[in-house]
Order: sequence, then C-alpha cells, then structure tokens
Amino acid sequence: MKTAHWLMAISLIWCSASIASAAPPDAEALLRAAYDNWRANSSTTEVAMTVHRPDWQRSLRMKAWTRGDDDALVRFVAPAQDAGNATLKLGDDTWVFNPKLNQVIKLPASMMEQSWMGSDFSYNDLSKANDLLTKYTHRLIDTKTDNGHTIYTIEAIPKPGAPVVWGKQVVKVRDDGVLLAETYFDQDMKPVREMTTEQVGPVGGRAYPKVMTMRPSDEPGKWTRIETLSGEFDKSEPAYLFTLSNLQNPRN
Amino acid sequence: MMSRLRLLLPLAWRNLWRNPRRTVITILVVGVGLWSILSFAVLLEAWSRSSRDTTLKLTTGQIEIHAQGYLDDPTVAHRMAPPSGDLEQLLKSSEFQTFASRVRVGAIVQSEYKTLPVTLIGASPDAERKVSVIPSQVRDGRYLSGADDTGIVLGRNLVRRLKTRVGKRVVLMVQAADGHLAERAFEVVGVFAAPEQTENEFAFAGIKTVQTLTGIADGISEVVAYSGSDDALPELVARLRKAAPGLDIQSWATIAPLEYAVSTLFNQFILMWLWTMFALMAIGIVNTQLMAVFERTREFGLLQALGMRPRLVLFEVALESTLLIGVGVALGVVLALLSVQAFPNGLDLGFLGRGAEMVGAGHILYLHVNPADFALYSLLVWVMSVLATLWPARRASKVSPVEAMARAAI
Repeated sequence: MKTAHWLMAISLIWCSASIASAAPPDAEALLRAAYDNWRANSSTTEVAMTVHRPDWQRSLRMKAWTRGDDDALVRFVAPAQDAGNATLKLGDDTWVFNPKLNQVIKLPASMMEQSWMGSDFSYNDLSKANDLLTKYTHRLIDTKTDNGHTIYTIEAIPKPGAPVVWGKQVVKVRDDGVLLAETYFDQDMKPVREMTTEQVGPVGGRAYPKVMTMRPSDEPGKWTRIETLSGEFDKSEPAYLFTLSNLQNPRN
Repeated sequence: MMSRLRLLLPLAWRNLWRNPRRTVITILVVGVGLWSILSFAVLLEAWSRSSRDTTLKLTTGQIEIHAQGYLDDPTVAHRMAPPSGDLEQLLKSSEFQTFASRVRVGAIVQSEYKTLPVTLIGASPDAERKVSVIPSQVRDGRYLSGADDTGIVLGRNLVRRLKTRVGKRVVLMVQAADGHLAERAFEVVGVFAAPEQTENEFAFAGIKTVQTLTGIADGISEVVAYSGSDDALPELVARLRKAAPGLDIQSWATIAPLEYAVSTLFNQFILMWLWTMFALMAIGIVNTQLMAVFERTREFGLLQALGMRPRLVLFEVALESTLLIGVGVALGVVLALLSVQAFPNGLDLGFLGRGAEMVGAGHILYLHVNPADFALYSLLVWVMSVLATLWPARRASKVSPVEAMARAAI
C-alpha cells in the first residue's frame, strides 16, 4: 500500500513537472505581444495601401500615428486627390476630416460600416482594432515550427454578450510577435474574410508584418494590401498630435 | 292625379315592351353601369379599410403621443416619462381600448456580412400584442417574452439581407442619451412577416433592454393608443392635449398622412367613378329615348289630337323612363349583391404578390355591403337618369298634332 502511495505521489509530481516544462505560452500573452510588436506604446509609420478590384486598382499613401491601444491618427499624403483626408480615433470615438469640405465630422453609427477610403476595411475595423484583445477569450489550438520560428495558432471566441458579430477569429502569431494571419469566421464558423501577412521584414528595428493583405472570402479578385514602408516605435509624440485641432490643421 | 297615374302606368309599361330590343339594351346599360359603380364602391371601401388597418395595426396606432420635438428628430434626447396622472387616467378610461408605451430610436444592425439601418423598438410584449399585429405574425422562432427580453425580433426580409437567422447574434448600435455610441449583441429570437417596408425597417427588443442600452432609465419615446372609431379622434386628441399639455399628441391623420389620404381618397374616387359612369349612361339613355320619341312622333300627335294635354304626354314619357331605369337599377343592385356574395371569404390579392403592399393593402380584402351606400348610389343614378330623360320627354310634349299627323302621312 505504502509503495503504491509513493508511486502515485511521484508520478503526480513528475506529471505536473512535465506539464510545466512543456507548458504552452499563454494565448492572450501571445496576442498581446503581437499587438505590442505592431503598435508598441506609440508608433509612427508610413504605409502604402493598394485597393484591388477585378476591373481596377489604386494605391494610396498615408502616415499613421498611434498612442497606446486606443488612439490613432491617419493622414493620407498621396495621391493628390486624396491627400489631406484624415481619420482620428480617440478611445471609442472616430472623426474624419475632409480637406475639400474643410470640415471635421464625428462618425455616426450609420457610417461605421462604410468602407474606409474605398478599401476592404471599414471605419469599424479601424475603431475596433483591439476588440480581439478585449472582447474575446483566447485558446492556443496549434503550435508548429517553420524556418526556425514557432508559429502559434490562436482561436479567439467572443466573450458571452460581447458586441461582436463574428463567430470566432483564428490568429497566427510568430514567436517574436509578428502577426501572420487573422481569419474572421461567421457564426456558422465559415470564413468570411482573411488577412494574411505576405512579407515579414525589419521595420523600425524590429521584425514586422511588412505586407499584409485583406481578402473577403466570397469575392475573389477583391483585396486590399497594406505595406508598411517605414516606421518608428516608442518615440515620444507631441501631445497635440491626437487632437481635433491637429486633425483639421495639421502641425506635423 | 292618381287616376291619371292609374291610366298612364299600364300605358307606359306596355309602351316599354313595344320595342323590346331597345328596352333591354337600355336596361343593360343602366344595370351594368350601376353594377360597376356599386362593385367599385364595395371593393374600394374594402381596400381603404384594409389599408387603414394595415397602417394602424403595424406600428402607427390611432393616436401617438411623443415628447415635443421627437417627430422632427426621433432620438432618445426627445424622450418622455411614462404616462402618469391625468394622462394615464384618460388612457386607461373606457374612451380608449388599449395603449402601449415604446422606446423607438434609429439604430444600426450589424451581422457578419452586412450593416443596415433599422428603427429599434423597445416594446412591452403584452401591451404590444394589443396594438400591433406584428407579434402574431412571427413566422420563425418566437416573439419577445417580456419587457426585459434580451433577444431581438427582426423582419423576414431584413434577416435575409443580413444573412442571419434565428439563434444567431447581431450587434445593434444606437446613440445613447449621453451621446456616446452604445452597442450591444442581441440574439435573433424571432422573424416576423409584414409588408416588405416594415420588415426592413423595424427591429423589436424588450423595452427594458433598450432603456438600459440607451441609458434613459424609465424614459419612453412614444405612447400608441387605440380608441376604436376614427370619428371621435379629434375630440380625444383635444382631451389628451389638455391632460398632458407638454406633449406632442397627434392622430394618425397627421402622422401617416399618405395612408390617411389613401383611405379618404377612395371615397372621392368612388364619386368620380359614379359621375363618369353616369355621364356615359346618360348619353346612352338620352339617345335611345330621343330615338324612341322621334319614332313615335305620329303617336304623340295623335294622342294630342285626341285631347291629351302636352303636360300629360311629358308625364307619360317621363314615367316610361322611370320604369325603364328602375328595372335597370334593380338589375344593377342584384348583380352587385351577387358579385359580393361570390367572395364570401374575402378577395385574396395573393395573385398580386407584394404589389398590393405598395398601396398599403393587406393580402385579403373582405368585401362588405354597406346598405346606405347602395341605396344612395342607386337612388342617385335613378333620379339623375330620369332628370336626363326629361329632355326627350319635353320634345315629345312639344309635338304639334297637325304637323305630326301631316308628316306621318308622307
């Protein structure tokens, strides 16, 4: 009897030890790391956006600033026709500035789902950029190694009652915090659209998802590509950056 | 006079059948004309009643009470307190059949595939069942179970456009009382069928849930009340305004002017149709009677030569027309009654599909004979037609016996 007890105790300890040593990293921490890699405490990036449709394609260039998780300012710089258009997000509120009207509009609910500058992103996508962190529960469902990197696949299920339309999201994150893919599923768990990282490269001294493409699943031939041309992270930003007055009269 | 009538009546009646073909044609003209007037009256009345019921029983109600300014800017900023004091007493009195309080705000509904604008109605299911037919039109799932139900009931067509269904989740965004954009996930618990426009426009959730979402405590947007007949509405509106001077109280004539116009337009339309048909009938009748009088010139001359007064000749011819048109009117009434009898279960407009919805009618029109209308229109047609035939009758009385006899001799 006594030996049996001992054996059990030893095997229990051994088991827990083995679990601890092979314990997968926390899914939420992985996502957090990906977001930190992407936006850091603050970021300044220059981005080219290509909107592709079966019969046309156009490219825009913008400068984007972020502060923390909630605040962002995006200002288009090219082509001339779109230059000056800007979007400011402060917490839950979003404003847009149109230089031709010289007017700032606070986005009403009805406009949130409108396409952002004709792309496959909506204003809602911008304003809910960190929903993935706050409104979902996360679970690591797959780990594999590729080119010396570990790639984690994380399934994110909306928290009960969260104002989220998706059935789930599946996110792939590399061990150094590079976001590789993000797939949105409907409530029947059918993929609706997918964002994939097509090129990982150094931006601002860190490995970064340099080229990302968003594709709606049911509309082949439509995609939007975001290419980060350059970026600086964790630099101190002037306080006036994220203000309505700066949105309308840029000082940067 | 009576003795003359006794003399002339058989004479007039027999005269009618001296040319049966002409008489039958005239009777048919009158009969079919009146039949069309009466049938149209029945049909249009059924239509306008259906249109009124459809309008009132969806979301409008007979009387709507709002805070001042709500109708111009339907947001939670223009909210009111639930009815209390004099207003509540009046609404609960026997003057009103029923009333319901609602929160009603513009919202955005979002599914995985689509985002659409809707009008979100926070409803108390028990009261709502009495003022609206929508709770009984749930085709899939269920209606709201209580004031704090956290599910949402959407229209059939909206559900199709959102690519969602019962059991799935949608997100609603509304402007809350403090101005921020409130959002909440709702489970689709039911799908209702209604005219397409209504299906697309309205989403129903528990009133308490919507009050919490918009942060308005126990505030409401509107009270919808029913009193029964439309006749007492102006007076009731005046009494309500007196009981609650700060509120905006309107009858459905103001709130749904188009639907109200449709229901009143039909009455005008029936009269227009009556006059058009009457003009056509009058031409036919006057023409045949005139022909008859011309043919019978010699007869009238002879009658006068034998001592019949011109006035009596006029009277005789007018009597003929009265009998002739009377038979036609009777035929028309019988035909119209038979036509209505042919649809004891109502006239199903299913073959029009959703076309009928565009003019606001329901799918089945219940035909109903209004005896007063029938009597009025029949009498009107009869009297007007007889008046029209006074012209040929006068011509007959103006015949000079000498000329008439002479012409006949040729």
